[in-house]
Amino acid sequence: MTRLSDLPPAQAKRLAEIECPKFETTPFVAGPPLSQRKIAIVSSAGLFRRGSEPFRGRDTDYRVVPGDIAWEDLLTSHISVNFDRTGLQEDWNVAFPLDRMKELAAEGVIGGLAGTHYSFMGAADPVGMEPHARELAGRLKQEEVDSVLLTPV
Amino acid sequence: MSALGHYLEEEGLATVAISLIRPQTENTRPPRALWVPFELGRPFGPPSDPAFQRRVLLTALRLLERTDGPVLLEDFPDDDPRWQLDPNWLPPSIPGGAGEGSGEALASGLTAEVVALRGAHQRWVEQYRRTTVGVSGLEIAAAADYVAAWLRGTSPESPREGYSAPLLLRFAVDDLKAYALEAAAAGSAKPASRQLGDWLWNETATGAALHALRAALLNAEDQRLRLIAENFIVPGTRVRATG
Repeated sequence: MTRLSDLPPAQAKRLAEIECPKFETTPFVAGPPLSQRKIAIVSSAGLFRRGSEPFRGRDTDYRVVPGDIAWEDLLTSHISVNFDRTGLQEDWNVAFPLDRMKELAAEGVIGGLAGTHYSFMGAADPVGMEPHARELAGRLKQEEVDSVLLTPV
Repeated sequence: MSALGHYLEEEGLATVAISLIRPQTENTRPPRALWVPFELGRPFGPPSDPAFQRRVLLTALRLLERTDGPVLLEDFPDDDPRWQLDPNWLPPSIPGGAGEGSGEALASGLTAEVVALRGAHQRWVEQYRRTTVGVSGLEIAAAADYVAAWLRGTSPESPREGYSAPLLLRFAVDDLKAYALEAAAAGSAKPASRQLGDWLWNETATGAALHALRAALLNAEDQRLRLIAENFIVPGTRVRATG
């Protein structure tokens, strides 16, 4: 329920310096204007469909979120208790902006919205997430997605 | 999140990330990111404010069209208007005398409060037509009973096949918090998260029970329970100094 600057100093420092792999390269994929792109949302909010398998801990794989999911069917089992949940309880769009993306697609601001979206659990080890992320990339390309909105929590 | 950006971009997908923790993003250098000055948990800012959310989203998506990277890291200029306290918000009525004291008092306080909040939670569900309660897969009364059993000092078996007792405890705690916070936010006022948090952690039997559960399990023999107690019951900003 807090901004980073309001956390106890030790906790803020831990979050700011959280261990992440060092990347030697900086890939940068060019593309057409937004109006010609097909975009998927990939969240790290630990989202899963009600009644399906939750994230149990620091699981490194991902869950599928259908583009036509009813808000009532979306849940999170993100392991952290240190982020605000009252915002997403009222309106999932604060963390997973599916309605906003649908509006942009309907208006032609973006070329298209993927039919399926995905969620990891952001507190998982990035090294363990890598094979799942690379497998997901293949899946996204099969769905003719060219661009991804990455949303944390 | 930043690591995902690297992996997906290496595979040929263009990515843009929202960043809530700027120093982390500066370290990991994802291809494109928009830092936002909002609370952790709401990367698109205020709930029920489509126009504001859209501005954040479009600012991020426009980074996909830039050709002057890598690395692009921009800042969103505006604060979340829902950060402001709402003086018109009133917490729901609860039995009160929120249990300090024995495990039994805390346990009964918790289960009684869950019953007392039922009407307010029902109003929430009617207002927003959803709930985020349900991670444990238990009815809320059963989730309260399960946590109450731990407060009474017993080590109950998991009521759900395929889920260990500690895991289900963590999920039941998540459900109890979501239930109370949703119940407290029903109505036309728009409380800031810290108003709701102050109420939950300082005024309610649920909060008292969870503070006590944390304290009790910090000394548990089972390492999984100690880990849950240390990290996954009470937010870091709400932990009370003990002893």
